Order: sequence, then structure tokens, then C-alpha cells
Amino acid sequence: MASNGSKPKPFEGLRVTDLSWVGVGPTVARYLADHGAEVIRVESATRMETLRRAGPFTDNEPHYDNSGYFANFNSSKLGVTINLKTAKGKELLKRLVAVSDVVTESFTPGSLKKLGLDYEELRKVRPDLVMISMPLFGQTGPWAHYMGYGHVLQAASGFNHLTGWPDGEPIGTGVAYTDFLVPHVGALALVAALDYRRRTGKGQYIDFSQFEGAVHALGTSILEWTANGREAERLGNRDPEAAPHGAYRCKDGRYVVIACFTEQEWEGFRAAIGRPDWTDLERMRRKWSRLNEQKEIDRHIDFWCRERTAAQAYKAMRDNGVPSGIVKSPEEMHRDPQLKHRGHYAVLDHPTMGARTYDSPAFRLSKTPGGPWKAAPLLGEDTERVLKGTLGMGDEEFTELLVEGVLE
Amino acid sequence: MTDRPDGVPLPHPDGPLSGYRVVDIADEKGQLCARLLAELGADVIKVEPRAGDRTRANGPFFRDEEGRESSLYWWAMNAGKRSVTCEMRLEAGRDLFHRLVAGADAVIETNAPGAAKDIGADPRTLAKVNPEAVVVSITNFGQTGPARNLPATDIVGSAMGGHMYLNGSDERGPVRTTAPQAYAQVNLQAAVGAVIALYARGANGGLGQHVDVSMQESMANAMDNAQQTWDILQINNRGPGSGRMVSGREGPRYIYETADGWVAALGLGGLMGPTSGAMVDWLDQTGEAGPLTAPHWRERLEVVQPLEEDEQELLVGIMQKFCRTRRKDDLVREAQSRGVGWAPVYSPREIVESDQLAARDYWVQVRHEDIGETFVYPGAPWKLSGTPWRQRGRAPHVGEHNAEVYGDLLGLDADEVAKLRRSMVI
Repeated sequence: MASNGSKPKPFEGLRVTDLSWVGVGPTVARYLADHGAEVIRVESATRMETLRRAGPFTDNEPHYDNSGYFANFNSSKLGVTINLKTAKGKELLKRLVAVSDVVTESFTPGSLKKLGLDYEELRKVRPDLVMISMPLFGQTGPWAHYMGYGHVLQAASGFNHLTGWPDGEPIGTGVAYTDFLVPHVGALALVAALDYRRRTGKGQYIDFSQFEGAVHALGTSILEWTANGREAERLGNRDPEAAPHGAYRCKDGRYVVIACFTEQEWEGFRAAIGRPDWTDLERMRRKWSRLNEQKEIDRHIDFWCRERTAAQAYKAMRDNGVPSGIVKSPEEMHRDPQLKHRGHYAVLDHPTMGARTYDSPAFRLSKTPGGPWKAAPLLGEDTERVLKGTLGMGDEEFTELLVEGVLE
Repeated sequence: MTDRPDGVPLPHPDGPLSGYRVVDIADEKGQLCARLLAELGADVIKVEPRAGDRTRANGPFFRDEEGRESSLYWWAMNAGKRSVTCEMRLEAGRDLFHRLVAGADAVIETNAPGAAKDIGADPRTLAKVNPEAVVVSITNFGQTGPARNLPATDIVGSAMGGHMYLNGSDERGPVRTTAPQAYAQVNLQAAVGAVIALYARGANGGLGQHVDVSMQESMANAMDNAQQTWDILQINNRGPGSGRMVSGREGPRYIYETADGWVAALGLGGLMGPTSGAMVDWLDQTGEAGPLTAPHWRERLEVVQPLEEDEQELLVGIMQKFCRTRRKDDLVREAQSRGVGWAPVYSPREIVESDQLAARDYWVQVRHEDIGETFVYPGAPWKLSGTPWRQRGRAPHVGEHNAEVYGDLLGLDADEVAKLRRSMVI
């Protein structure tokens, strides 16, 4: 989705020093970048960003400037390298923060304090700073220093327990799930705090624990325990309130999903499969009764789907108003006519990776549209521009810092 | 303001969004979004038909007793809001709704594109009623495009959003998370869109705008690096069962059974990569390292050399045996003290009992004075130093706040309210 240059951008004029890394923090900062903020991603070659070392790499050529993993989280940002372990690097970062509105970071708690770059220090150079810290488990508590990634945080925060089949292992989702969930929670607080600052001039510090944010996405699971004393369990593709409800394998090996919550949807489903006799049995006529017959219903649907392609099965359901869909592969997602129409995958030209696709926000703003408008930065691509331009640094000092390794 | 003996919702004058008013006519796709705005300080008014919102029939129910005030779904998603009734299918209802919108900063609606028009809740009408309001429309596939009017539920969003393809396994096929994630995702991403649009009023002369949110796109954004992997390598990542697949390569098993449950640990429990030395030392100390203490093994594990199938089996076997006799919390504590990033597989009960969350004073007690009970609810997703998050109390009863909203807020007198009641508008 290309942004419209003539319309105002929500965060025009806002500057962000983005110290975060890997998945969650960079995605939070990306929201600001994609909506017009000048986001300066600060990295260092002395401690390479994890995702720059992770694929997929263009041309299968592992290189820190070729990672699609990194690129997608860092659209619309500038890239600056500073070695924060050097005294001059720390001073330089403070100069950058002094002209920034926001700092984002996701280091292990205590890391920035050790460097003398925690909120208490940074607010001295920028009193109305809004700063968000977003490690896995927050700034305090016995797990504060725990390491890990979204793929294991999904385990601690209940998603493994609730994903898989009842007779099988808690396999969880196949992705680093919380990395794609909690950034939205973090961004919500950050933008709310920015709106407060816009109206009052006051900054603040946000202690965000990814774990604590993720718990809010567990639906009714917590209350089922605290109010009813019952543990929610993983149900495969079943739903306690719908029948049928599942994913069914079709002739071509693809899967369709079908969900009937209402009697109307059930009637549509019956019409879609030609109203066979079994659907007219007494025990199939009411939902509360059908809920006990899911095994049999699934067997009939499996049989019906086996004789059809996913496209045929989906069309029959869709034409009869049944909530249904095809389980789309990444390839199919790229070809999906709806996503194409929405322009969900933005194509952006990257200096070394070429034209690549980037995700867009799930929303379109009618008057101040956002979305990725520039490919991810090369490592240190904008160091000179930001230091000389934004900070007004002279050639002599810049060269000195360069020679001394401060800008590595 | 009318004295509220029930104290619901609890006042929240110092949130970042305090002073804003939000009108919520959303279903599963937008109720959590509106609730989070309430917890950040907004006054959220839930508008329901006289018989109660449809989602009050969503289970499970408190003590399994069905009723419109006992849905745990309703409690979870609508806590801290005010409720008014209003029949928007009647013209007088639409007028009343528009009076609420006239005083609102945001409206959250989830009607299918086109359907909102029948009840006077389409973005164009609302923009006329209140040009300063942000109108957040949350739909299955977005307001435009060939699929815009197709029906969908959570599992459809998971499937058509591509996320489900990445879960499950070759043998059993794709699987969705039982706690609905397409709904969770679209709520959270819509909330970000809502606050960006509220912020944008500053750059936009105070005007609101339309925020068009797609559940399909919200799930497309949860595909890890599968999107890029297709774009760059033309490989489909897919459901890896108990392993992990990145960039088209399937990694080894990452969950291991313990004496009391499961643990999760990437990189073969940390045996592969930079933490391999620490892991081998640990196994060695308990006498369970097998051949791994040999220098050539240590070196191979550290630099992550590709493994033959039987070698991988050996390593997985060592890890499985090691974990099976130990408790998950002990394992995780010890692994973390050695710098290896393990986590326990927790159930909802174990999350509620977590030491970490207790130490952070996470949980909140929510009083349900109507039934004489108090329950534990999830607490602050963030600790904001200047403008705290606050849980706002239990979810409202149907039309619980009719008098204070229509009377105090809109300034209707008793006769007018009585007339609306008689004509079955409220």
C-alpha cells in the first residue's frame, strides 16, 4: 500500500530512537514509522541484530543486509550504528534522545541502566520523553532476567496448552506467536501515551511485559478457571458452541474450514451438501443436540470433501451463506484477490534485496493513510545523514567517531 | 453525575485516554478493543438492543447457568463499560444513537459493509453526525474488495488469514488455537488503528476519520516470516507439529515432556548454538550427557552443523529422557540460571498461579456485587508511570446505565425517557 504524499501523516514531526531488536520492539516502532514518524533504528555491528542473521535471505546468500525476516519488521525506518559500549557512543545516544520524542527498547531489564541509558538518565536530556521497555517478562519479578523468544513465550502464556488436539501434545502454533500478538498491545499503550502527551505535554515511562500483554488474548480461559474452577483445554478444531466446526481435507490435499454457530448457518450447510438424509435425523435438528454428534458430522463432511476440491467445497459453502474458507498457504496469500484488492502486501525496493513484499497494517485510515513506504535500512545506512543532518555534527567530529569505532 | 451505588464502571480520571468517550456497537471483533480503551481511561458506552447484545449468549457461563448476565465471554470482553439499550432498527433509536455519537470521540462498529447503513451506523452517516469522531469499522475482510461481504468466524479468519496453515502437522492437518485468535488479533490491531486516528486529530484539524480494519489482514500479519519466505525463496512454511519451521527449514522438536507437564526450548533445548556449551555442562553434571561431552560433539553443536537423522534422534532422546524425570518449573529455573531460554508450558490455572505475575502484582480482584462474589481478572498489560491502566469493574447488565446516560449525559428529562421506553426504543 503506497502512502499518499498529499495527505498528512499522523506522526509527522515525531522522532523515535528505536533501540529495540528482534520481533516485538521493532514491530511497535514500525507502527510509528509506517505512519510518518522519523524512526531511527540504532544498531551495532558489534552485537548484530538477531534477525539480520536469520533468513530467509535473498539469493539464499546469508548476509546481514539480505534478511527478509529483519526487513519486514523495519520498514520505513532509518538505520544508524552506534557502539553503546563506548563512552562516546553513550554520549552520542543521549544527543539523539535529546532531539527525540520517543525511545523504544526491548533489552533484558537492567541492560540500559548498566550503560547509564535508562529512563531516569534519558529523561534528564529529554524531560517530556515517552519511553517504552518491552522485554518478555517486564522490569521486575523473579523472571525479569529470563531469556527467550516468542516461540517459547507462547508456551508460558497459554497458547501451547490451547493449541493442538485433545489427545495430543500441546504443540502450540507453528510460529513465534507472541511476537505477532503483543506488539499490537505495546503499540496501543505507546500511542495512547503519545496522545496524552500531545494534549498535556507530559511524557512518561511504560514498563511493558510481553507475558502480561499476551494473557489478555486468552479469551475466556482465565475466567473459566477463576470463576468456574475449570481449565480450558485444546480442542483441535472443534468449538464448544458450533457444530460442525472444523478443517476438512479435500481431494486436492487442501483444507476447507466450516463453522455453523446458528441454525441458519446449519440450514445453509445442509443446502450446500444437498440435504442428505443424515442431516435430517432427529439428533441433528437442534444445535445443542448436534454438539454431541460432532464425530459423526465430521465423518460425513470428511467423506463429502474427499470427493471435491477445496475450491469446489468452499464455493458450495459460500454460495449458501456458510462461514467457511480455505486454509491458505503463504503462496495462496500472495495471490489472494481480496488481499490484492486491499494492497496488503506492499512492494518496496531495497538497495540489496530488490523489490520485496512487506506486510501492511490491518487497518486503512481514510484521511491520514499509513503503511510501509520505504524498505528496511541497510546496517548503518543513514548514520552519516542522521549525525550530520539531525544532530548537526561537523565533518571533523564525525570522522573522529568513525575512526575510534564509535559508529560500528 | 448520578450516584452509582454499584460503582460500575469504576472512575478512571487519570488514564491516557481519560476524557474521551467511545460508543461501542461491536461484536466479537471489537468488544475487546473497546474494553482496552476503557481501561486506558475512555468512557465506553456499550449500545445493546433491548433484549441484550447477541454475544451475551456466548458461553461458557458462570456455574454453567445460561443467562444474559452470566456469560463469561460477556464478562471478559465488556468489563468496565456502561450499557444502554437502544433499538437502532427504529428511527427514534437511530436518532438517539446519533445523539450519543454526537458527543463521542470514537465509535467501534462491526457490521458487514452495507449493513451498517440500515441502522444509521455507516461511516458516512456518522461522519455527518460528528465529523470529529473516529469511526472504527472492524469486518471480516475489510470494507472493500470481492470478499467484503462474506461471512466469517474466528476459524475462517485464521484460515483465510494464512496463519492456520502454519499450525498443526502433515499428519493431522492445520489446527486453530482454541481461544479465538483471529478475534483477539483483529481487536488488538483495531485498537492501535483507533488510537492512531485519535492522535491524528492533532495533525488533521481536529477531524476524525474512518478506520477500516480487516480480520483477514490481522491474521496475515501473524505469519512469522512465512510471507517473506514465499516472496524470497518460493517455499511454503507449514505446520511443523512439535517442531519449528523457519525459512522453509524444519527445526527439531521444541517441546519436551516433564514429570508434571511440558517445557518449551528452542534449538533442541538449547543444545544447538551459542548455549550448547552450557547445556552439555548441565547434562554432564547430572551424568546424562552421553557422548556429547566429546570435543567433536561440543564443537559441532556450537557451530550448528547440520545433523543426520540418527544424530538428531540421539539428541532428542537425551533431552526427552532428561526432562521426563524432572519438574518443569525446576527445569526452567535451572536452564535460565545457565543462560538458556526455556519456558514452561502453562495452563490457565498455572498462569494464574505464576510466581512472576504474583511478584508483579498482576491480578485484579473484580467485585460482582450483584451476585455477591469477587473474581480474579487479568491485570495491567502495561505499567504506565504517568497515566496508569485500570480495570473498571464488572461488565454491565443490559441497559444498566440508561438513566444516567440518557438523563445526565444527553439531558433527556424523565418524561422523554419514559416515552422512549413506552415506544420500545430503550
